[in-house]
Amino acid sequence: MSEATNSLIQATADHLSQFAPFDQMESEHVLWLAQHATLAYFARGEAILSPEQNDPVAFFIIKQGVVQGEQVTGQMPDAPAWLELGEGECFPLGALLASRPVTSVYRAGSDVFCYIVAATDFLHLTKLSAAFHDFCTRRIANLLEHSQHLIQAGYSKASAEQQSMSSSLSAIIRREPVTCSPDDSIKRALQAMQDHGVGAMVAVENRLPMGILTLHDVLSRVVLAGADLDRPVIGVMSTNLATLPPHAPAHEAALAMAKQGIRHVLVTDKGCLVGVVSEKDLFNLQRVGLSRISNAIRHAATLELLKQCAQDIQQLARNMLAQGVAAEQLTQIITTLNDLLTTRIIELELAANPIEDIEFCWLALGSEGRFEQTLNTDQDNGIIFAPKAGQIPAALREVLLPFARRINDALDACGFPLCNGFVMASNPKWCLSLEEWQGTFDNWIYHGAPMDLLHSTIFFDFRPLYGASHLGEALRAWLQQAAPKNTRFLHQLAVNALRNRPPLGVVRDFVTSEGHTVDLKLNGITPFVDAARIFSLAVGGSQTNTLERLREIAVPLRIQKHDIDAYCDAFLFIQLLRLRLHHEQNEQGKPLTNRVDPDTLNTLDRRILKEVFRQARKLQTKLGLDYQV
Amino acid sequence: MNWLGRLFPKAPDLTPQQAGRLARWQALPSPRLDQPVSASRYVVVDVESSGLDTARDHLIAIGAVAVTHGRIQLDDSIEIVLQQTQASARDNILIHGIGGTIQREGTPPADALLTFLEYLGKDPLIAFHVAFDQSMINRALKTFLGIKFEHAWADLAHVAPALHPRIARHTRALDDWMGVFGIGNYARHNALADAMATAELFLALQPLLAFQGVTNFRDMRTLAQNWQRQSQPV
Repeated sequence: MSEATNSLIQATADHLSQFAPFDQMESEHVLWLAQHATLAYFARGEAILSPEQNDPVAFFIIKQGVVQGEQVTGQMPDAPAWLELGEGECFPLGALLASRPVTSVYRAGSDVFCYIVAATDFLHLTKLSAAFHDFCTRRIANLLEHSQHLIQAGYSKASAEQQSMSSSLSAIIRREPVTCSPDDSIKRALQAMQDHGVGAMVAVENRLPMGILTLHDVLSRVVLAGADLDRPVIGVMSTNLATLPPHAPAHEAALAMAKQGIRHVLVTDKGCLVGVVSEKDLFNLQRVGLSRISNAIRHAATLELLKQCAQDIQQLARNMLAQGVAAEQLTQIITTLNDLLTTRIIELELAANPIEDIEFCWLALGSEGRFEQTLNTDQDNGIIFAPKAGQIPAALREVLLPFARRINDALDACGFPLCNGFVMASNPKWCLSLEEWQGTFDNWIYHGAPMDLLHSTIFFDFRPLYGASHLGEALRAWLQQAAPKNTRFLHQLAVNALRNRPPLGVVRDFVTSEGHTVDLKLNGITPFVDAARIFSLAVGGSQTNTLERLREIAVPLRIQKHDIDAYCDAFLFIQLLRLRLHHEQNEQGKPLTNRVDPDTLNTLDRRILKEVFRQARKLQTKLGLDYQV
Repeated sequence: MNWLGRLFPKAPDLTPQQAGRLARWQALPSPRLDQPVSASRYVVVDVESSGLDTARDHLIAIGAVAVTHGRIQLDDSIEIVLQQTQASARDNILIHGIGGTIQREGTPPADALLTFLEYLGKDPLIAFHVAFDQSMINRALKTFLGIKFEHAWADLAHVAPALHPRIARHTRALDDWMGVFGIGNYARHNALADAMATAELFLALQPLLAFQGVTNFRDMRTLAQNWQRQSQPV
């Protein structure tokens, strides 16, 4: 009938084009889709698709109304709708792509109009349109990419000129490196720096970098050291060089600067110097530099100065978020800086009140242990120490506790509130010898009382932060042996973890509580963190970071790589949302919370959040199956 | 002569090709009206005209979309603009949005109407306020094709209140009913868009029709006629 498109087909295509993935598709393909669609009506409560249906499954796009997915497999008898779909969303992609019946009942949650496209037409469209194919096969990753673009677009108004922290170093290098020969005199090298207006001089031999002299070094290494300006420059250069390849992203250079407390990173290609990237290059539009902060922390002499640094860390995180640094790098950088801050607090404390002759290690627990700190993190820490022959642990504890107390207070002053549950090194229960820790852990694993399970979710994410790290490593090695043996304990952990369900709604998109909000940490982060921990303990893994744990369990548990990727993407998206939330709350001077009102999210983010919760469900389902919960 | 001509209009001159198309349409069998909805094709129609006077104003556009086996077939839809010798009044153009140029560039009426008949086949017609659409289409077919159009129609303006008598007291116009079911309209007063909205209303009425045991066109028409008789006693 329709040789040409009429206004109805055009209007249908226009409507579809408001939603992903149709907004990414070429208009002729959307028109093709509209031409092959029929429109059906489903009264509220009517089943649209169910596993019993014999007809081949078709592709549904919601024109109007709400559709709910209900799990029918008997695993979760009282499970509410696990999925809620609204205008512009489509289903059931999994069933269509695998040509299998649906595993869930799709029911009209309100009066619903759905466009329906036959399976054969759906498959044809995946061949016709690359964008559509992409969407169907890598749904989450795709939505995320899209959202990331929007976030960056939103922030880039403020920082239009700034290059992203994920751009490669080769894109940041602005000039040929200024070099000299190692045998040139100091005077000549300094003159060249002056002439070229550069902050660093690199000595090269056959283009291989041999040493670096920065303007900053001139004071200590040349002037104050009273160096003879006619001597070869290599003598006053730093030969401990930080190098990165040209394709490395900028944030790696930032991380290297922070870790090593330096201001320049050499960019080398197969050993040959191709450029110098300075902290100024990376952050010349920012007031707060990563390495400046880490240097300030390293050299801070008082708690007052450290407090200032703690605020700078927040500001830096804000700037990096604005530049579109991914959540994984950002939480890593925050954690790295917080580690430095804690280290410096301990150093200052030890300088003021030395602890003589006790070998100990400061442990980071909880999110800090997992390298997953965001802007609002209260402190979770402990101490592990090693009594020498004849020493009584209780006596050492007496010495360490007042010390730990002062550290906890100092951290509190720097914006890491004291832990409500007293999971802190100044609590006698968490200031233990290696043997005592093993005994405690062993008890938890053996008894598995509710409190034991709760504790293990915090303590089993420990990592050494300061001091005798081999003690922390020994405890980890012990746990790697002990945990996999006790399957009853793992089962109990799984039962506990599965009590916390991602809040997919029955009536609305999300099950909300407390003033119409969802808790991104409890409902979004925790399911992934818990599942990753349990699986990691089960396989005797050594990682504490959730993403690393997920990557680590893939092979032993035979989980497909694309599933792991989807879990990681989902986890990172929640982290990003959380960081953005905290950032906004910060800007508005509000207290930081993890609660977000889903209505304040844009449509795309709301959809991704739903998809994220769906992934969390999927991971939980695996957990439930593996441990017969 | 002039008044006589108006009383006994002479049959329009059709080309042999047009006559052939008309004959082929006339020869089509009519479907049974007691076939269930799930096995039938209905055509939902809406027209735009130069005004509201069914005796003087003329047909400008027809929009129609088919409901086959209970689903709207987006691709089985049509919108036809009839070529006008003179464009309709300015204030009316503002309503239907079909400008003078497009009206003059439309399809010549006989061909336009043949296209419509071929699209329709003999399947039953559904509209909202049938009286108006029916008389505009009937007169145009009489004038340009010289046929008396006797076709099965059902009026949703009577079906809807018969199913929802309580809502009906304050719900009369198509817009009101669309509001009740939350139905949108991509371009109100565009014939095809209005036909689409009417078709969506028809789908939304299906569950209640089925509940009352009305599963075919004949019963639906009876339901509408009964309501009409009750609510507008002669």
